Amino acid sequence: FAGLADVSISEDVPVEGEITVPVGSHSPDEDYSTLDEPVRDTIMRDLKAVGKKFVHVMYPKKSSALLRDWDLWGPLVLCVSLALMLQGGSADSKDDGGPQFAEVFVIIWFGAVVITLNSKLLGGTISFFQSLCVLGYCVLPLTVAMLVCRLVLLAGSGTVSFIIRLIVVVAMFGWSTLASTAFLADSQPPNRKALVVYPIFLFYFVISWMILTFTPQ
Amino acid sequence: RHPLATFFHLFFRVSAIITYLFCDWFSNSFVACFVTILLLLSFDFWSVKNVTGRLLVGLHWWNQIDEDGKSHWVFEAKRVSTIAASTEAEARIFWLGLIICPVIWTVFFFSTLFSLKLKWLALVIAGISLQTANLYGYIHCKLGGQKSIGRVTSRFFVTADVPRRQTRRISEDRTEEHGKTGTR
Repeated sequence: FAGLADVSISEDVPVEGEITVPVGSHSPDEDYSTLDEPVRDTIMRDLKAVGKKFVHVMYPKKSSALLRDWDLWGPLVLCVSLALMLQGGSADSKDDGGPQFAEVFVIIWFGAVVITLNSKLLGGTISFFQSLCVLGYCVLPLTVAMLVCRLVLLAGSGTVSFIIRLIVVVAMFGWSTLASTAFLADSQPPNRKALVVYPIFLFYFVISWMILTFTPQ
Repeated sequence: RHPLATFFHLFFRVSAIITYLFCDWFSNSFVACFVTILLLLSFDFWSVKNVTGRLLVGLHWWNQIDEDGKSHWVFEAKRVSTIAASTEAEARIFWLGLIICPVIWTVFFFSTLFSLKLKWLALVIAGISLQTANLYGYIHCKLGGQKSIGRVTSRFFVTADVPRRQTRRISEDRTEEHGKTGTR
């Protein structure tokens, strides 16, 4: 039966892999779901996904929603609001809090990229954008802390307000770090978990420091 | 056929560029300009990636994470049966808008670098990355679509061949067996 050898299909069927080109393997129904859906559906779907992720950050259970459906809208909104709130009071002159604004931006995004690279180099299984997504969304508690601090500073800036701000910032810092490690540490081999958690701790520590040392003009 | 999509495809990108060039006329505040341009760039990225690409040229690309946590980049192209004149014009506008704007942002990058207005650098880099990402994704869709047309036709020929070969094989086996039993 030597002739049976060339019954098998000689061509590879490249369905799996880093890049898939599923033209021809999609049924017409699947084509409709991605290529023809109305715009409003797309917008609502994305908005609901973003909202769900915000809720997941506030109650960090082990769920795959944050990881599977990553998006960077939440981190963008949080980053912009945090940077706006960290402005000095004078936002309208030529020499305004411009450098501070761009600084916050660069610290957050560059810091998140560095942490992601670190975890990938340590052999993590999570993908680049997933990690950015988790780190960005977990800035939410610190943004809330910033809001609270600004409100407290409106009331006064004495020792009492400092203690209140300290407590709030430390609590939110702990929440952020715990939430992000709950999502990220699982993707690491067990003996590397501390090596991954430490940069995350540092990242949120720097942001908390910026929040705590903020004084309005 | 899709005038609204064509308008929005160009609207966000061109507004971002115009705001960047003339931000001094609009407002004195660096922060307001920065946030406005960033939001325009983000809306542009989202609308080009999710809406105008689908409607104007039938291409779509996205990232999917499967059960194991592996991430796949998926590039999808609609099979185009007829090419009307209006869709060709829209496709041309789409590709022109897609290609020219990252080039303009690259020019801004060098002008910012050499004139040392470094506080704009983060914004320009963000603009370049967002627009180049869309350009790269759609080029991948386009090239992948053309490649896989060849693959689809060759796969068709392979599957059409296999049943014939199998039946031939089976009939040959039977004759061989017959032959063997015959000689036995």
